[in-house]
Amino acid sequence: MRFLTAICVCVTWASIPTQAIAQQPSGREAIETMRFADVSFDPPVPDEYSIGGVPVLLLEDGTLPLTSVYARFRGGYGLFGREHYAVGTAMPSLLRYGGTSSMAPDSVDGLLEYYAIQTSFGGAGAAVSSTMNTLSEHLPAALELWGSLLVDPAFDENEIEVWRGRQLESIRRRSDDPGRLAFSEYNRLLYGDHPIGWEMEDADLSPTRVAQSRFHELHARIVCRENLVLGVSGDTDWPTVQPLLASLVDKVPACPDSLPASPIPDIRREPGVFLIEKETEQSVIVMAHTTGVHLADEPAYFAATIANSILGAGGFSSRIMARVRTEEGYAYSASSLWTMPRRYDGLLGAITRTRPENTAPAIALILETMQELRDAPPESEEVETAVAQVVNGFVFNFETAGQIVSRTMFYLAQDLPQDWLERYVEGVQGVNANSVHNAFASHLRPEDMMILIVGDSERIGLDALREFGPVTHLEIGKNR
Amino acid sequence: MMRFHARWPQVGILALLVSACLAAPAGGQATPGENLEVREILLENGMRILILPREGAPTVSFTVRFGLGGVHERLGTTGIAHLLEHMLFKGTTTIGTRDPEAEQRLFPLMDAAHDSLLLARVRDDRAEKERLVARIDALEDSARAFVESNEFDRILSRAGAQGLNATTTNEATIYFVELPSNRTELWFALEADRMSNPVFREYYSERDVVTEERRMRIESVPGGVLYETHLATAFTMHPYGVPVVGYMSDLETLSRRDVESYYRRFYGPNNAVVAIVGDLDPDQVEEWTRQYLGSIPRGDDPPPVLAVEPEQRGERRIEVEWDAEPQLRLGWHVPSSLDDDAPALAILTSLLTGGRTSRLYRRMILEDRIATGVFSSLGPGSLYPQLLQIDATPLAPATTATLEAAIYEEIARLASGGPTQTELTRVRNQIAAGSIRRMQSSLGLAFQLAESQAIFDDWRETFRFSGRLRTVTAGDIQRVAGQYLTRENRTVATLVKTETR
Repeated sequence: MRFLTAICVCVTWASIPTQAIAQQPSGREAIETMRFADVSFDPPVPDEYSIGGVPVLLLEDGTLPLTSVYARFRGGYGLFGREHYAVGTAMPSLLRYGGTSSMAPDSVDGLLEYYAIQTSFGGAGAAVSSTMNTLSEHLPAALELWGSLLVDPAFDENEIEVWRGRQLESIRRRSDDPGRLAFSEYNRLLYGDHPIGWEMEDADLSPTRVAQSRFHELHARIVCRENLVLGVSGDTDWPTVQPLLASLVDKVPACPDSLPASPIPDIRREPGVFLIEKETEQSVIVMAHTTGVHLADEPAYFAATIANSILGAGGFSSRIMARVRTEEGYAYSASSLWTMPRRYDGLLGAITRTRPENTAPAIALILETMQELRDAPPESEEVETAVAQVVNGFVFNFETAGQIVSRTMFYLAQDLPQDWLERYVEGVQGVNANSVHNAFASHLRPEDMMILIVGDSERIGLDALREFGPVTHLEIGKNR
Repeated sequence: MMRFHARWPQVGILALLVSACLAAPAGGQATPGENLEVREILLENGMRILILPREGAPTVSFTVRFGLGGVHERLGTTGIAHLLEHMLFKGTTTIGTRDPEAEQRLFPLMDAAHDSLLLARVRDDRAEKERLVARIDALEDSARAFVESNEFDRILSRAGAQGLNATTTNEATIYFVELPSNRTELWFALEADRMSNPVFREYYSERDVVTEERRMRIESVPGGVLYETHLATAFTMHPYGVPVVGYMSDLETLSRRDVESYYRRFYGPNNAVVAIVGDLDPDQVEEWTRQYLGSIPRGDDPPPVLAVEPEQRGERRIEVEWDAEPQLRLGWHVPSSLDDDAPALAILTSLLTGGRTSRLYRRMILEDRIATGVFSSLGPGSLYPQLLQIDATPLAPATTATLEAAIYEEIARLASGGPTQTELTRVRNQIAAGSIRRMQSSLGLAFQLAESQAIFDDWRETFRFSGRLRTVTAGDIQRVAGQYLTRENRTVATLVKTETR
């Protein structure tokens, strides 16, 4: 049967004798003589509008009969104090699942699924966002339904209880996965009583903390007009979508008060080795210290992003990956992290996983790799590779209209200039081996790493860990 | 029964209802994907290439799908396809090396040391084992003096490549990457070289990397251990019971020679389907296809998969003790995705767990509140008789037994009463919208085209399957649920918490 099918395929497929074609050399000989034409490309830019004071971005794209609408509200769980942590965290889920004042949750579910409308609701410490994607022919009704979920939620009590039960179960399962355990405890250790360090606890989920009235109170402070940015992409145009969005914006009330400022974390700065005991076939290692490089249109920021790429964020071309994975085979994954928030200090460090017996050697190798980059500039070829990756990969920032609109909305929310991407690409082209070395020399301190390990101390060897500093045993959920 | 009641603003819901009725394609009508203007090329060496130009950003997505995966392996060499997946990023005779001859002169010495190491393991000669491991490390370090590590990756990174990676499944290994469109010829030069002249350098350290991958995905996470144990229990004969990543003892014994000879034998162009999608000139891409890929010599056909899983005659139950909260995994033997019952089984999984209106989600999470999650799927492969699988996580104080009882009850209800017309329409509408959404990503399309071409000898077949899904009736659902989801045909695996394992 397969044979007969194959014959049919041969007849229908274009096939010409291969001997008529000159074979090209491949490999190094080919690529060293290859020249590439410039890419001719005008990046699409969303149109900017305003409805009732709400910024609206629109990028038309008629490739497929689909339209997406995006909403981003400033205001998330991190702004309102620990007593609102659970409600703030649950807000995106309950907007989707909690029904509206005129529709029960199951009616909403039925409509969304019946008409194959896709929605996503998410949140971070300082924002709540949502996206709706629909066949364009359903746009008016889909937008009306989605808008009701955002501005007229019921926060159904049964749905609150379902969410609460799942959170309690998630707490019970916190230590099941060594990776999840490591990252949550590391954040707690570094950030303490700051939203980044918070982990959901039973006390956060008491019935009074997650009462329906608290959802309505917090919703009124977040889902209001001054906090909102809207975006649209896909198979629609302004005359079509403007009245639909105007109808939505009409229902969004003015904000009752201004949002509280995002709290500045008091990040732990003392180095040391911290161990969470767990019998597991693979240790999880997280290490970092604080740094003062901030996201800004400045050479120091661009140098730090390229430095991070060379250290361990640039995949196989990076130092940590090359040493830890390629040369020693210690880990499947090993990378650096260098966070650069706008308003407070970030972290610079590394993450990996390895079998217990290789835990100390892997840590030593990462620290050694860091020290090398502190001591001497990187090869200029390494810098060129990291910069070329950004510059030549620029076109991938424009693959879909949705990607462009979402990014532009993010810039608006972050008070970044609309041409931030272009500035970034220009900025990294000014980075060289010296500026990368300066970034490491000024900010990378291997001796100051706060190292956390989730693993089996018997197989890891405590003496080996003590080489990196005094070892403190941590109890899950009670650190800092 | 869903409640679509009148509390919804009238104009909106009427608009939805009317437009949905108008939008529903009639049975037999072509789905949008079938009309894509795909150019098909068959080279004399058997390689099949699909080229699809698309408007948009100047990027191109590439996939190469070799029809070799976990099912083609035997005990003793499990994980070889996946290990090869890693090794094909190590470069060639000209990429990744400063002196290929000096480097490769050390390979036989490493292989000989590895042969001796296996014998030392049999004798459990600890001192000899340590000596030989050190010797292999030293030889690899010596060879590394001639190596440009990760050069293949670096060349592509400098070109702006995105998502360079590969994945191995039970039935195939797929290599993929996206490039700016002006670098399309670079891909041909590198890929032709990789297929023709690979060098399996840095092998023993890469094998260690793969053992770490196994530890990360399987041995350190409770879900991984449960998954592997469940499949091994459900499949007593067929290789679907064997993990694609391989067993640890096999990984630790596979030699560089084993892996290289497996590649040379089976990874020929006749076992490969290439899909290229994006901002491209099809004439130019066809020319490069013939120039670069046309002369690669054929290989053997993949080893045949002759094992047939015997009919299961009674429920199988297995417990995995682990330091973690309980989980449940169920599986029933069902036919392959090529079978006539495949569309009904796919719809059945959607009716069971596809979204909040599905039977099991509604019952277990929203109404009874006994689970935090429930998912179903068909797997672990698609070409051979497989499993309808359900994974569920209990919400304390409910137990895995509570979950089992609820699942069996809902399945029995579906088998006896069938789905409602509303449920079926909901699923059909989602399929219709999905047939458009699946065309949003160029890389996603490249994957779909290559897989459909490889499995069905026709790239359109994946889109036709969407059409067949829409013809499934309530009676079909009742029949397959009653026929396959029976007690004697199921395998139940539970994760049981222990304080120390």
